[in-house]
Amino acid sequence: MSKDLEHAFVTELENNQNIVHKVCTLYTNDREAHNDLFQEITIQLWKAYPKFRGDAKFSTWMYRVALNTAITLYRKSKKRVQTIDYESVIFKIQADEYDATEEQQLKLMYKAVKQLNDIDKALVFLYLEDKDYTEIAETLGISEVNARVKMNRIKGKLRTILNP
Amino acid sequence: MMDELELLKKDWQKKDVAHPKLSYNDIYSMLWKKSSSIVKWIFVISILEFALPHLLYLLPSTRNNLNIFGSTGFDNYFIGFSVFYYLVVFYFIYQFYSRYKEITVLDNAKNLMSKIIKTRTTVKNYIIFSLAMILVTVLLFMLGIYLNNDFSNLISEMGDNVKKMSPEKLKHTLIIAIGILGVVMTVIMGTVYFLLYGLLLRKLNRNYQELKKLEI
Repeated sequence: MSKDLEHAFVTELENNQNIVHKVCTLYTNDREAHNDLFQEITIQLWKAYPKFRGDAKFSTWMYRVALNTAITLYRKSKKRVQTIDYESVIFKIQADEYDATEEQQLKLMYKAVKQLNDIDKALVFLYLEDKDYTEIAETLGISEVNARVKMNRIKGKLRTILNP
Repeated sequence: MMDELELLKKDWQKKDVAHPKLSYNDIYSMLWKKSSSIVKWIFVISILEFALPHLLYLLPSTRNNLNIFGSTGFDNYFIGFSVFYYLVVFYFIYQFYSRYKEITVLDNAKNLMSKIIKTRTTVKNYIIFSLAMILVTVLLFMLGIYLNNDFSNLISEMGDNVKKMSPEKLKHTLIIAIGILGVVMTVIMGTVYFLLYGLLLRKLNRNYQELKKLEI
């Protein structure tokens, strides 16, 4: 493949890497696994890139490939060290911006989301990224109605995790 | 709860992940790394599965064993059996390849999973067929030995203890031994195969069931 294509791809991914990092954060529990998944998503994006050619926004197209890789294609790396409290370092908690209760609430929410199963996480991820139900449904291959029903159930699940 | 999720949404969109940003060169170097996706694993394992029984045939001992049919008039049956076997194998390879080609990461999650499972089913059917063929071959061996009266060359290759046995007894022992060995081999191969795939596809199956559950 030509150098131009490589350059275009790497630049796009460099600018949009936050999306991939967020997926990795949701689906892995330690830094090593995070990097591993990031790499696999990059490989899958790169393999699919020739088929992309600008018919959608690069970022839109990334969501699908990244989630497919995380949910379906990715095999967890063998060396699995359970790290204790990765959640607390996942997101930069900017203490000055929030009052303590809100920050605490957010921490608990992130922790609860991490406990969901792979499919539920995918729905929550797209929801948090402000995707509408049409796009959520298309990405996962379910109907829009089912996506809504599922999202309501997930809210219920989160409620149970937060208030046992 | 709604409020909390909305709160999370605002926070989520505002923040960067606390992970060091990767540089252009970091990402560039990843392009050439090897993928470890399950699709690649299925492909590699399947190629091995298609190739392995044929590699086995290349071993001199296996070929010699098959020569036992030379003196029993089983030749024609054996050729017919081989033709049938290879036709079926090529059908499986063709089906596997066309299904494998259909897998694309650009599909929606459910389609992607279902295509992977279909590809895997092709390999599963091939394995069941292969195991059945092993059993049939073992059966043919047993039949071949039963019908073969010329044991002198076989016996001369064996130890003194064996020579003391009557040809009749030797024949029966051999037939039973081959029978047991064949069945044990088939069971072991089958178990290894299903364990291997079971582990490989555990996550995929779980997620696929989760998505399918939604459609009911």
